[in-house]
Amino acid sequence: MSHEAVLHSHDSHGHDDHAHHETFLSKYVFSMDHKMIAKQFLITGMVWAVLGGLMSVLFRLQLGYPDASFPWLESILGKWAKGGQITPEAYYALVTTHGTVLVFFVLTAGLSGTFANFLIPLQIGARDMASPFMNMLSYWFFLTASIVMLCSLFVETGPFSGGWVAYPPLSALHDASPGSKSGMDLWIISMALFVVSSLLGGLNYIATILNMRTKGMSMTRLPLTIWALFFTAVLGVLSFPVLLSGFILLIFDRNFGTSFYLSDIFVNGVGALSNEGGSAILYQHLFWFLGHPEVYIILLPAMGMVSEIMSVNSRKPIFGYMAMLGSLFAIAVLAFLVWAHHMFVTGLNPFLGSVFVLLTLLIAVPSAIKVFNWLTTLWRGNIRFTPGMLFAIGFVSLFISGGLTGIWLGNAALDIHLHDTYFVIAHFHIVMGVASMFGMFAGVYHWFPKMYGRYLNNSLGYIHFWVTLAGAYMIFWPMHYEGLAGMPRRYFDFSIWESFKQFAELNRFISTVAMIVFATQILFLINFFYSIFKGRKVTDLNPWKSNTLEWTTPINPGHGNWPGEIPEVHRWPYDYGKDGVDFIPQDVPVGANESSH
Amino acid sequence: MSNVTTASTKEAKWWNGGKSPFDVEYGKVMMWYFLMSDAFTFGAFLIAYGTVRFSTNGWPNPNEVFKSYPFAGEGTNAPLVFVSIMTFILIISSVTMVLAVHAGKMMDKKGVVRNMIFTIIGGIAFLSCQAWEWNHLHHEGAWWGMNPFINADGTASTTNFTNFFFTITGFHGFHVFSGVVINIIMLIMTLLNKFEQRGHYLMIEKAGLYWHFVDLVWVFVFTCFYLL
Amino acid sequence: MSENTHEHGDPIAEIKKVTIILSVLTIIELILGFWMIGITSEGLRLAIKGTIVILMLAKAFYIVAYFMHLKHELKNLIMTIVVPLALFIWFITAFLSDGNSFRNLRNTYDPHFKAQSEIKVEKKAEGTHATEEKEGKSEPTETKKD
Repeated sequence: MSHEAVLHSHDSHGHDDHAHHETFLSKYVFSMDHKMIAKQFLITGMVWAVLGGLMSVLFRLQLGYPDASFPWLESILGKWAKGGQITPEAYYALVTTHGTVLVFFVLTAGLSGTFANFLIPLQIGARDMASPFMNMLSYWFFLTASIVMLCSLFVETGPFSGGWVAYPPLSALHDASPGSKSGMDLWIISMALFVVSSLLGGLNYIATILNMRTKGMSMTRLPLTIWALFFTAVLGVLSFPVLLSGFILLIFDRNFGTSFYLSDIFVNGVGALSNEGGSAILYQHLFWFLGHPEVYIILLPAMGMVSEIMSVNSRKPIFGYMAMLGSLFAIAVLAFLVWAHHMFVTGLNPFLGSVFVLLTLLIAVPSAIKVFNWLTTLWRGNIRFTPGMLFAIGFVSLFISGGLTGIWLGNAALDIHLHDTYFVIAHFHIVMGVASMFGMFAGVYHWFPKMYGRYLNNSLGYIHFWVTLAGAYMIFWPMHYEGLAGMPRRYFDFSIWESFKQFAELNRFISTVAMIVFATQILFLINFFYSIFKGRKVTDLNPWKSNTLEWTTPINPGHGNWPGEIPEVHRWPYDYGKDGVDFIPQDVPVGANESSH
Repeated sequence: MSNVTTASTKEAKWWNGGKSPFDVEYGKVMMWYFLMSDAFTFGAFLIAYGTVRFSTNGWPNPNEVFKSYPFAGEGTNAPLVFVSIMTFILIISSVTMVLAVHAGKMMDKKGVVRNMIFTIIGGIAFLSCQAWEWNHLHHEGAWWGMNPFINADGTASTTNFTNFFFTITGFHGFHVFSGVVINIIMLIMTLLNKFEQRGHYLMIEKAGLYWHFVDLVWVFVFTCFYLL
Repeated sequence: MSENTHEHGDPIAEIKKVTIILSVLTIIELILGFWMIGITSEGLRLAIKGTIVILMLAKAFYIVAYFMHLKHELKNLIMTIVVPLALFIWFITAFLSDGNSFRNLRNTYDPHFKAQSEIKVEKKAEGTHATEEKEGKSEPTETKKD
């Protein structure tokens, strides 16, 4: 049987694509080239990042200036900002959509969608993904999900407003809130489409990394980016289906009179509901069984890219490659075992809770290993402070500051005091939100020359970095303080409580900084789109003097990546400063009297 | 000892790149991982069912619920009979699927066609059985949000018994249905000599994996709903 | 693949063997199921249920190993499939134990729940079609409440 032929038939399909005449549609829209799909993910993700960021600016406006009236708001939001003040319903909708969009569309699809698509084939030495068609479908499901979510913003009763976690009964009962009507239906459809998209993508990434590596690219010669993206894909493939099951049960509760999550409920104006026997905690379990791995789906790609960028720009091998691998694996496993630490105060069995505390605190070990390895990679390195490198260092800084508060929140006893306060907001925004954003920025600055054949403007990059880093700390650091004082999250207006009046100034400060930081991101967007067309052209095949395979392709690689044969790999990707040589790319054969690494 | 060392050197070579570490093409890796993720979908359903059952004081006795079969008179008391027929139908269709895959490996087109037809018939038979059972239960007043049955200890039952039953068997039935559709497509492709031209029947193998998975899920669904 | 197939005896004989094993396991399950109908002792019922679960896992093993051919794949593939499945252990343990704790919680602190679950209801006469329930999708449990 021509089994070998089957195994390698996909290798050849890249070649014949060069000759094709490409139309606009086939090149930019229905593209099956992984590089183009990556750009599609990136740009869709950026659109959502702007929308999601804008939402946060709007609700920060409310929190910072609860009494002020902004007539221009009414012209944008219409009835959701009667008299220039955001209504409570609109506020909740903004908070919910901000969370959903940023977590799923920007930091999952935008981050791992972009860089998994872009980097996996280039860095492992493959002509494309295992199944380019599924890859295209993955993007189109994501785009459909995006469009449905966008539509939900415009329905009569408003988008879903029960928090991005969509806990029942708010999500299960049509009468629970205005957003629980058709807004919730669209939300859930959008999320279901998103799950399909991430499954199609994830299966593809796994199969590609396992099956399509070029000759000599053994698993221990993979760049850490690829390892991180691999674990990300595994996490997604195993945890998203659980969310899907949870959502299917939720749909039945909403529309077919079941009571999986509902029991003993009284709705004002409707009366007691007949639902009996369900358990709202069940939904939370199902949701967080995805929700916690989701945190690492967001973080791991950033970690991988940061490891790569740090090593390249320190001109030093990554410190502790195997330890990095082991800690990635440990984080991926632990990600599945700790979900209930989000539920310490929901009526979870306290004994079970203490088991979850133990497992949660274990995450500190691999996280610390990674942090120390990053720091020791920098130690005595010949550091080049490119914007990409700065963002990578910023990632480590944020990961440490946000990770430390995770140890507080992982303790059930402390969590009873801190849960649902701004302390939690500060924690997860720093460690997961802003840190992953930094990883994403680092990746964009670092691989932009490969994506578009041009450089981003460095000066704008430095401004972008310093304002964003300082701004992120100025926004979220005070929130720890507010949270310790008991200020609860998701509240519309704090000015009516005597005890929170003292924070009015601080809230205004946070809101102002948030607006400045948001404006700085516009600077980045300008830089990005300007540089695509007008940026300084890349003339050097390997501008960062990096070892990985993507820099052996032409400056603007076509579909199929390498015009000739795919290079063979002879060494790991971190031979920097070895035997006095600045860098030795992976495709350079091992010399006769070269020391082994 | 020597055995171990040869095995490990062989393994190291598998992972060296330039070929699949599993010696299978990417489609099969994807199918396996898809089935893994589907296992988590079904796992989540069944575990949710278990969780709700554990958090409820009483639960109906399956033997008092599923005790009829087609053409039986009213008031028949034959627990487990009909569902065991359904189980055997699915096992047998799984066996014919293995035979089809095996015939595919031998490049025996006739064998593939014959066994695929048997498998499809088995799948349709199973779906028909399920349709009958759903219809029967619906006539007894059971549906999503409606539960005419009482708990084993004689107390009132919540609707979650029927909710979970219809959701999970429905989701499984949906998988059987899509499996039948896939098998029919495979059959047509075989008849059109698609696989003969490709020189391999790997598609049949992947369809087979899916079909066995459907059978596998039924093993769990059958046990959880009818026996426990 | 072709090389793999020939490593282990006659595949047809193996298929036959596994078919018989699966059938026997199913029949044992059914016998246990029938036996359990008449038994009221909780301990014994639990033991039978445990046996059934073990038989179920045995069936799953035979389907995956032989029908899905996993046993004859490379060890690499077997490990990548089987190791992630170990996550189910904690998945099941945590969910079910929390379900159990939720019941205890409700029985202790929710008198309505406790009272509700202790009301005995009349067993419906055999063969009555609960037609009155069909119309009321919005009030599904109405009939049981009174």
